[in-house]
Amino acid sequence: MSAVAHPIVDHNVPPGEPPHIHHMDTTTAYGAAKLGMWLFLGTEILLFAVMFCSFAIMRYYHLGEFHDASKHLNLWAGGFNTIVLLISSFTAAVAVTKAQKGDNAGVVKNFGFSLVCGLIFLCVKGYEYSEKARHGMFPFVWNSDFYHYKNFLGLYFCMSGLHALHVIIGMALLYWYGIRPAMRGRFSGKYYTPVELGALYWHLVDLIWIYLFPLLYLVG
Amino acid sequence: MAAHASAAVNEELNYLNWQKGIWSWLSSTDHKRICFLYLFTILIFFLAGGVAALLVRTELAFAGPQIITDPHTYNVLFTMHGVFMIFLFVVPGIPATLGNFLIPLMIGAKDVAFPRLNLFSYYVYVVGALIGAVAMFNPVDTGWTFYAPYSTTTGTSVSLMVLAAFVLGFSSILTGLNFIVTIHQLRAPGMTWMRLPVFIWASYATAVIQTVATPVIGMTLLLIIAERAFGAGIFDPSKGGDPVLMEHLFWFYSHPVVYIMVLPAFGVIGEIIPVFSRKPLFGYKMVVISSMAIAAVGFIVWAHHMFVAGISDFSAKFFSIVTFLVAIPTAIKVFNWVSTMYKGSISFKTPMLYAMAFVFLFMVAGTTGIYLAMLGVDVYYHDTYFVVAHFHYTIQGGAVIGLIAALHFWFPKMTGKMYNETVSKFAFAALFIGFNLTFIPQFILGMEGMPRRYYDYPAQYQTLHTISTIGAYLNGFGYSFALINLLWVALFGKVKAPRNPYNSLSLEWQTQSPPLHENFAEIPVVTEEPYSYGTPTGRGH
Amino acid sequence: MLGLLGQQGSDFAHKVDYAHDVVTIISVICTVAIVGVMLYFAVIYRQRDGKDHETPRIEGNNTLEIIWTVFPTLVCIWVAWLGYDSFIDLRTPPANAMEINVTGRKWAWDFTYKNGKKTTGELVVPVDEPVKLVMTAKDVLHSFFVPVMRTKADVIPGRYTYEWFRPVQTGDFQVFCTEYCGNEHSKMLARLKVLPKAEFERWLADDSEARKLASLKPSDRGKELYVSKQCVTCHSLDGTPRVGPSWLKIFGKEGKLADGSTYKADENYIRESILQPQAKVVQGFPAMGMPSYQGQLSDDDITGIIEFMKTLDGTQKVEVAPALPKKSAASTVGMTPAERGKALFNDSGNMCATCHSIDGSALVGPSFKGLYGRKEKIADGTEVTVDDAYIKESIYKPTAKIVQGYAPAMPAMYEGKLSDQDVADITEYIKTLK
Repeated sequence: MSAVAHPIVDHNVPPGEPPHIHHMDTTTAYGAAKLGMWLFLGTEILLFAVMFCSFAIMRYYHLGEFHDASKHLNLWAGGFNTIVLLISSFTAAVAVTKAQKGDNAGVVKNFGFSLVCGLIFLCVKGYEYSEKARHGMFPFVWNSDFYHYKNFLGLYFCMSGLHALHVIIGMALLYWYGIRPAMRGRFSGKYYTPVELGALYWHLVDLIWIYLFPLLYLVG
Repeated sequence: MAAHASAAVNEELNYLNWQKGIWSWLSSTDHKRICFLYLFTILIFFLAGGVAALLVRTELAFAGPQIITDPHTYNVLFTMHGVFMIFLFVVPGIPATLGNFLIPLMIGAKDVAFPRLNLFSYYVYVVGALIGAVAMFNPVDTGWTFYAPYSTTTGTSVSLMVLAAFVLGFSSILTGLNFIVTIHQLRAPGMTWMRLPVFIWASYATAVIQTVATPVIGMTLLLIIAERAFGAGIFDPSKGGDPVLMEHLFWFYSHPVVYIMVLPAFGVIGEIIPVFSRKPLFGYKMVVISSMAIAAVGFIVWAHHMFVAGISDFSAKFFSIVTFLVAIPTAIKVFNWVSTMYKGSISFKTPMLYAMAFVFLFMVAGTTGIYLAMLGVDVYYHDTYFVVAHFHYTIQGGAVIGLIAALHFWFPKMTGKMYNETVSKFAFAALFIGFNLTFIPQFILGMEGMPRRYYDYPAQYQTLHTISTIGAYLNGFGYSFALINLLWVALFGKVKAPRNPYNSLSLEWQTQSPPLHENFAEIPVVTEEPYSYGTPTGRGH
Repeated sequence: MLGLLGQQGSDFAHKVDYAHDVVTIISVICTVAIVGVMLYFAVIYRQRDGKDHETPRIEGNNTLEIIWTVFPTLVCIWVAWLGYDSFIDLRTPPANAMEINVTGRKWAWDFTYKNGKKTTGELVVPVDEPVKLVMTAKDVLHSFFVPVMRTKADVIPGRYTYEWFRPVQTGDFQVFCTEYCGNEHSKMLARLKVLPKAEFERWLADDSEARKLASLKPSDRGKELYVSKQCVTCHSLDGTPRVGPSWLKIFGKEGKLADGSTYKADENYIRESILQPQAKVVQGFPAMGMPSYQGQLSDDDITGIIEFMKTLDGTQKVEVAPALPKKSAASTVGMTPAERGKALFNDSGNMCATCHSIDGSALVGPSFKGLYGRKEKIADGTEVTVDDAYIKESIYKPTAKIVQGYAPAMPAMYEGKLSDQDVADITEYIKTLK
């Protein structure tokens, strides 16, 4: 045993090699990372489940209002965003296979594409929100004509807002743990854990939207 | 980061002395040091919550206004007592402290799966506490349960306070996640699942609850903020919302949270009794199964807090039955602990006294819970002092006693020093007597119909309140004495503890006291069943 | 059986109590048994002289595990059924139950009967008849708890909940609010008054006062209440200060409070002074002189009183009939003197209970509990013994010998209202309050 401090994770290794972990071997570390990420994704699903549940109950009480209010959502924007996210999920998955093959440039390209998709998603969302604000259907600038849509819109903004926040977090993860190391040729068949985990997170972000979109925009 | 082997020549190198200086503590990813970071912080909130309690009890000692002249201040005080104690003390409680310290040691690992995440979760806790501190400028008066629409309409800093609770919950989720992965991935060779100490099983069950239940309250609290900030109308009936929905979402977490609080304490007792009886834990398999069963069933009983809240009679029936279901595994544990003492060789060190007290206190807690699980009786007792007494027996008599017991039991391992048994036993006696003196009158108050959260009460209830207040002061004195004793010895004590003063067979005791930074010089290989105390009978079971 | 939950006021209370008794007995037996076995093991298996002795490596016993899993399960099933059995009655009102609407609001209970009669703070019901309370809240969650009936239900804004009971004895019983609702949660009490059927019918039909009040314009309503709620006893209309300030030109008045700060008698100040009289007492007036009307006046009542005050601007003379408070028509035939005294005490027309408790708590006046025969110091420092003569003097000439620490707030209105016999009966009642 030594009195010198080790960093927990030591990335000072040849490119493509897994980092040294202070207290675990590589295989255990990989298993631990995956299990940790899956557990975390589970908690994210539970987080959103609360809002889905509240939505169901509020809709039961206020069916008419929800139906009407939902018609004021921009179906084209929502649909477009859905396609965008689906494509981004596809490229994220491709990035993982590229990483496994050691094709770091492929990781950068595909994760980069996913990131751009995320950006497009956010822009469309921003456009939708600004339209709502213009019509007085937005917190702090309510138009009293739309007051009776408050229950639906309250949940709409909470759900889509929290989702948008997760898109931003996902984009940050894709860049910091995927694109940036890939630009230095970090990944190989021996080590691609951050790419896999980043892609998992991104898939979750997409999955949540796949449920949000029909619920908010279609079923209403 | 360079460090110096600054241990004295005749002092072993260990996790306490291999790096010195406050920064080495604040930036340490060592699970053992993180235990202390958490411990000191949560004890501050234990003190704050305790002071709030004593102020409340002083006010209630006699009918009519005493030291608190306006009801709003009283309402703030009982709210803060609940918030500090639950979110800032008992929920982090054993897992964040003893769990952090012991889990890697007990399973033969060098650290938890994600040490940096571990340190991060501590700082998330600190941020949550700081947000809560800011909220104290306009302290909340809703009760720790934040029921709507009172919480969505009152003028106090509810949004800040629930934001603090949200952040604290995030810390709890990260701790739970870390522990689950650690227990799955980092067990030493030969440490199969059925060779794990029950403290590990209890921590595992707790971690599952932490990870699954906490996101639900997190989101609910965010919805309260949304409701207050932009009138979303989810819980407030004047805006078309449903206050009972809030209660459901709240209790979906807040019932499992009591198992987060108490399961680790069960684990602690399961470790102490075999050591001081020199016998294997009786019915190890059943104890393990009961921990997992409590965690699972604990998720489906939440509406037993809502029998009179306007739920349907059918729901009431369902939740009553499953509440009985969750009581059975706890009873099984108690039977197994007591059976462990059969034909044992029993010594009465302080940890064993706490463990035996725990059996009594939890019998009271559990049986009074039965009253509340019964529908007709709960209608009478809901929101009366009977409930207050019941949950103090479970949380204080259970979780907190478990924490204090654990601190005494593993003290030599954590500090390498020994405390004075006479002093600690004296503190125990004060604490135990004070606690019962505080809460037994409260059961009677409940029987007489006295409601809870009352700033003032009809004069006929006064005598019982006076007795309860006297008990509260003794209780507070007992805790202070016990903890100050430990703190004093930890900092200034001179009596060195042997490596394994109680001759425990558990892995953490096989390494030096205090342990090395890396826990083990060599990762151990496990070959024996746990708790192999005593002479084999040849008869097996 | 064990009587732990007190008086059984409803016909299903015994079921709840039975379930409670069963669990109590089982719990005590189990706790004593388990703790007893633990202590027994601790003693007989203890280490002697600090020496460890040999122990057998017993790892478990499947038979025992089965026994102590199955047996508690069976007990739990039985106990669960008892709980359910007591519950189902509580939740099943008979079809012919008389419905009364209850509204919980911060911080009082309003009751509305089917014939339109409204009360605040007092729920009056007939004995032996089922009553179903249909309840809602105006603002936040409340809960209506009647311990003696063993019923409770949360009262929720925006929806209706119910509870029901069938009282089996007459009397006055406590009602609590049992869902935290803010500052005055502990003061949101009510009285459940169970009357004999005939008396209840009379009470219910006698809505003349309530109807008259409701039909009056607010200031006239306030004027009615000024008399019927006895404000007249302590507040004059002509400028003369009595126990409390005169209401002449009171609205909008500015001045100093007891602690030196200033006040302005606007609507909010007046409302606060009615509901929490000790909050902002005007300088020069006794601190504990006025009882609180929390839970006894509806919001419309309070508005009426305020409007009445606004009319007292000195531009016109206002006279009120000095109506003596009505005494209840209940018969006292066949009662002992102490019982008759109790009836007089409880008669709201005499207003004794407004200022004197019988449970020991000091209100505006001393409690009657333990009063008789006590030695008290009076305002001028001399000592008196509370005997028949003292009580008689205190009723007819209240300010003669006031106990130290109390305000000279008792109205001198009993001369000519209570006979010597009445006073003797009241004295007999006080003697029973040890």
